[in-house]
Amino acid sequence: MLNILDIPFTPLDVAGILTIIFLGIALFLKIQRIKQLRLEVDKLNKSLEGMDEQSKLIIRTDMELNKIQEELDKKITSLYTLQELTRAISTTLEEPQIFKRIEVERLKEIGFEKALIFLYSEKDSRFNLYLNIGYVSEDVGIVKAFIEANGSQFLNLIKIQKTISSTSAVEGFIAKETINSLFTVSAFIFSVLLPKDGDKGFLFVGTENKDTLITEGDEELVTILTNQLGQSLENARLFEKTWNVQQELEKKVEERTRELALVIEGIKKISKRKTDFVSSVSHELRTPLTSIKGYAAILLAGKLGEVPLGVRERLEKINRHSDELVHMVNDMLDISRIESGREVMKIEPYDLKIISARAADLLSAQLKDKQIELSIDIPVNASEVLIDVNQIERVFINIVGNAIKFTPVAGKIFIRAVSIGAWIQVDIADTGSGIPEEAREAIFEEFYRVDSLINQQVKGTGLGLALVKNIIEAHGGKIWVKSKLGAGATFSFTLPVK
Amino acid sequence: MQVGVGVSIAKDYIEAAKEALFRAKKYITKDKIDFAIVFSTVEFAHPLFLKTISRLLGPTTIVGSSSLAVMSNQGFLKHGLVVMLISLSEKIYFNAALVEKISTKSINKAGEELAEKLLSGAKDIHRKLSVIFCDGLIKNTADLILGLQDKFGKSFPLVGASTADNPVFQKNYLYLNQEIYNDAACGILLGGNLNFGLGVRHGWKPLGKPRFVTESFRNTVYKIDSEPAVKIYEEYFARKIPELTKDLKRIAAFYPIGIYLSGKKEYLLRNLISIRNDGSLVFHGDVPVNSQIRFMIGAKDSILDATRQAASEAKQGMLEKKIDFVLVFDSVFRFMLLGRQVNKELEIIQEEFGRDTPIIGLCTCKEYAPLKIMEYSESAYSHNQAITILAVGK
Repeated sequence: MLNILDIPFTPLDVAGILTIIFLGIALFLKIQRIKQLRLEVDKLNKSLEGMDEQSKLIIRTDMELNKIQEELDKKITSLYTLQELTRAISTTLEEPQIFKRIEVERLKEIGFEKALIFLYSEKDSRFNLYLNIGYVSEDVGIVKAFIEANGSQFLNLIKIQKTISSTSAVEGFIAKETINSLFTVSAFIFSVLLPKDGDKGFLFVGTENKDTLITEGDEELVTILTNQLGQSLENARLFEKTWNVQQELEKKVEERTRELALVIEGIKKISKRKTDFVSSVSHELRTPLTSIKGYAAILLAGKLGEVPLGVRERLEKINRHSDELVHMVNDMLDISRIESGREVMKIEPYDLKIISARAADLLSAQLKDKQIELSIDIPVNASEVLIDVNQIERVFINIVGNAIKFTPVAGKIFIRAVSIGAWIQVDIADTGSGIPEEAREAIFEEFYRVDSLINQQVKGTGLGLALVKNIIEAHGGKIWVKSKLGAGATFSFTLPVK
Repeated sequence: MQVGVGVSIAKDYIEAAKEALFRAKKYITKDKIDFAIVFSTVEFAHPLFLKTISRLLGPTTIVGSSSLAVMSNQGFLKHGLVVMLISLSEKIYFNAALVEKISTKSINKAGEELAEKLLSGAKDIHRKLSVIFCDGLIKNTADLILGLQDKFGKSFPLVGASTADNPVFQKNYLYLNQEIYNDAACGILLGGNLNFGLGVRHGWKPLGKPRFVTESFRNTVYKIDSEPAVKIYEEYFARKIPELTKDLKRIAAFYPIGIYLSGKKEYLLRNLISIRNDGSLVFHGDVPVNSQIRFMIGAKDSILDATRQAASEAKQGMLEKKIDFVLVFDSVFRFMLLGRQVNKELEIIQEEFGRDTPIIGLCTCKEYAPLKIMEYSESAYSHNQAITILAVGK
């Protein structure tokens, strides 16, 4: 048996063996290290795989977030554009202008570059084009013909009031592919235009961009736009209606004014003729009246022989009636002179108290006869007026004279004045029989006399108040009467202060 | 150098042209205006519009493009026109050129053609910088950049953008002098006594575990970690291809992939253009095989931070020299993510450069710029989701 110790190892052999042992150990350690490293690599790989899985989750989430962000950005931009569009279309009240405010740049901001608006005319039974963006006339012709041919489908769309798009087609409506091909778009929206009155229709918007996918948000946006368009159309139509009514009214007012002017002109002519007639008749009457009065006076004076008593009495009557007639003729001449403007008012400041005192003095005999008390109350601040003294004196005499005539014995008459701004208002009131309501305006007309028992007993020409009215109006003032039957009447008139 | 900026939002493009020019001219006292940069939204892209500007400016070179939105000191405009008039100082040179009908030729060759045209007018000058505008509907613009770099040299500073189209019109227009073009790219080459600073940042952050592109060709990725490329999106969004396609616009805007670049502060972003039925993914820009990629996520705060960093880098690049104007190429995806806060980017830029510094910019779908211009050794990359801020001064 060979003993290892018996082998004659040279030092070189020993060194070789030791090297082998050392290398073996090293190899072993390396193998162990490799195993360990492999484990670590596996670990790292696993962790890398884990990270990769996490990355996938991150990317998927990021993708979703980006989509949401994109949609949000689009919505915000679209809302801004919609706001601008709304502002633009709501600031006009002209129907054609409303459509012109939809500009291609704004349309592009909401993702479309083509748009058409058709409104259905009930009158013509056809769709009319109101807006065209992005189509040449040849294309519009094709689209129009298509809409005419499929009119019932589009009318139904208006009827059901629905917004449809390339992603939300309506059952029974024209196929999406047909619309894409005819309208040369890749995505589109139809939204109905529904103003309350008048023609209704639809807005079509589309894009050739193949990447465009119409979302619910897009549909909502276009629907808001068409609602606004409908509202603006309504406003424009209402405005047009109102405008037309106003125009018609203005036309009618103009016509009536013209007619009225003609009538007034006619009245003026008649009035002038009447005034001229009255003036000329009065003048013509004066001469024979003067002769009658003259001859009556000669006869009464007995220059042509003794006048028997009976004849004298008749002659005196002739004389008295002639006086009354002269008085009447003078009044008529005054009225016609004032009316025609031939009578120039000699305006001057004057004290009303003096005039009323003078009138009272002049009528004192009649007042005394009927025991009528006349009281005058004209305060200092309401006494100075700008008047033609003679004419206003006639006014006082006439009104107070009338009051005396219609006031029973022991009655009362009041003359009062009050200052109202640039005017003095004079009230002459009596405790007489009063004036019926229906006669209160007519009494100022020429020859009008109230039909009453007392009037039959009291003499009058029917010209006095007409003359009074003319005089007051010639001063720029007004005259009116307030009365209660059996409780007297108050004649009021105004006279200027400055 | 004198610079004036005018803005108009008038509906009529001729009125708008007159108004914007009138406003911009107020800042220029010199008789000669060397060139005008015109950015407008697509509604203005009409030959008469440029003819009006040209007629009013006289013999001045006009370059520019249409975009989804344009920027000025007054903010972003979704409908508007921005004109920047530049009267250069002595010893600053420029040349402008355009290459059209790009889809009918090799894109690489189109890039070379544009570079040659730009260089032909600037043979004896010390060229400093090229600014390129490209129709955003042109695919594989990386080849256009390569074509440009083949002629300019890989390390020549090249900054630019593919303009973002209006999703409705799906048209982009490039402007050169009196003409408008589709399917084209135009540019300006600047040289001489000129300084500039550049900042490019996106602000998207990596999320999830790193993965490797195991099969790709140019901008199409077939396999990631040896699995169909679409699986990464299916797993992250828990959706199948048809649902992913439905939401592609949002996914593309907010969740690009980021390519790890060793030693760089930010990942190079690639945003998704389409998902094919075979499970492959098509991106804006190339994604090489073996690229380490991560899923990326952006937040408003992080992208505004990126704007701040880009502005700061652009300012630092100017080494405290006077800044005469600032050009901003801002990704449409940032525009989408920021939503109503989009003008905050402008506020940040103005905080950095001052409110009086003329600023114009436009919305882009791809941005071209070196990752770090100060090193002068970087070739331009095609970026997605980035803001590129170029400060220029004497």
